[in-house]
Amino acid sequence: MPMKKQFTLQEAICLGFCASFIVITRAGLRLHLNIPGHAMFFTMFFLILARGCVPRMGAATLAGLVAGLLSMLLGMGKGGPLILLKFVVPGLIVDLGGILYPGFPGSYLACAIIGASASASRFVTIVVVEWVIGMDWSVILQHAAISSSVGVLFGAAGSLMAPPVVRRLKVSGLITRGP
Amino acid sequence: MEKLAPSERKKGRPKGGYAFQYCSKDSPVHRLGAGWKLALCGALGALAVAARVPWALGALLAVNLAYYFAARLGLRDLWRDIRIFLIQTAIIVILYVVKYGPAEGLWPGIRTGVQILLLFLPGVVFVRTTQGSQMMRSLKRILPEWLSFVLFTSFRFLPFFAREFREIAMAQRLRGAPIAPRQVWKPNHWKDLFNCLMIPLMVRALKTAKEAALSAEARGFGERH
Repeated sequence: MPMKKQFTLQEAICLGFCASFIVITRAGLRLHLNIPGHAMFFTMFFLILARGCVPRMGAATLAGLVAGLLSMLLGMGKGGPLILLKFVVPGLIVDLGGILYPGFPGSYLACAIIGASASASRFVTIVVVEWVIGMDWSVILQHAAISSSVGVLFGAAGSLMAPPVVRRLKVSGLITRGP
Repeated sequence: MEKLAPSERKKGRPKGGYAFQYCSKDSPVHRLGAGWKLALCGALGALAVAARVPWALGALLAVNLAYYFAARLGLRDLWRDIRIFLIQTAIIVILYVVKYGPAEGLWPGIRTGVQILLLFLPGVVFVRTTQGSQMMRSLKRILPEWLSFVLFTSFRFLPFFAREFREIAMAQRLRGAPIAPRQVWKPNHWKDLFNCLMIPLMVRALKTAKEAALSAEARGFGERH
């Protein structure tokens, strides 16, 4: 199988499983909650956990991409193929955070900042879509702020749950390589 | 659409399914290839961005609705699928009216809301009419082989992990962990949720990943990707 030398097969499958958990928790929440942005809680937790378990560039993005494709396959979320952006963009931001601070999955503060920033990517998506449509800038910014603010709070809260889990997995020797 | 048992309705599952869910029907749109539907998504989405005047928006809305109903989806399905966009439209209209007043703000608000709806509606038809297996076949042609492998392995393990999730949760609840659905929404129980549920689940995932990788490598898959 011709492959890029980025992840081992085990790492790639592990990232795929993190993506599966994102989809499972989103499906679970879909049945019980109607709060906008709540799904960011587990999405950010598992994206940061993916980066913590596989500390390589692109880990969270791959987890996000697989989560997006799985959601598309399962018909979750509006917009069909556009759902990919919902997962890939936060994954990219988590990986960007990993470049700036490689040890962030073990730090509460860094996780909260990166988790909130990645959750705010919904803000960027809304801004881009509405800018393309030709909306007024002030209305775009107000609408994006209203739509993404709750998601940012949930995303930051979910991110704060990742450091103790990453630490315990490291202590138990399940995550062998780390920053 | 299959009829649901009364117990399922009691649990909050809406009669007739959820929004954006695959709907098993025999229609020309269902028979259309996933690639063609994706191409239609792109084309109709581009037209939604370009349309600004009322007649163009009206014509495009008619085309989108014809496409939607050609998939033999009903008005109830349409309501489920578009109600979230109606909320979005209401927010946008309010913001425009606050800024420009009712006379000048109403039309741009409605126009933008309709454009957003038209941008997403072809995608809704895509997920409503395309089965997972059909999407998989199309994705196999587009995605690199290693990504297809990771995607389909994850897909294959979804029910396994959903079952693991339930079983671990059940075992931990029997041991007294406060992770029942009514308890987990309280932030003071979140630590228990992650310690008792997420850590065992991740341990299971890491071990399963190792076994799956060994198994795949034994069948000749590449070492790194």
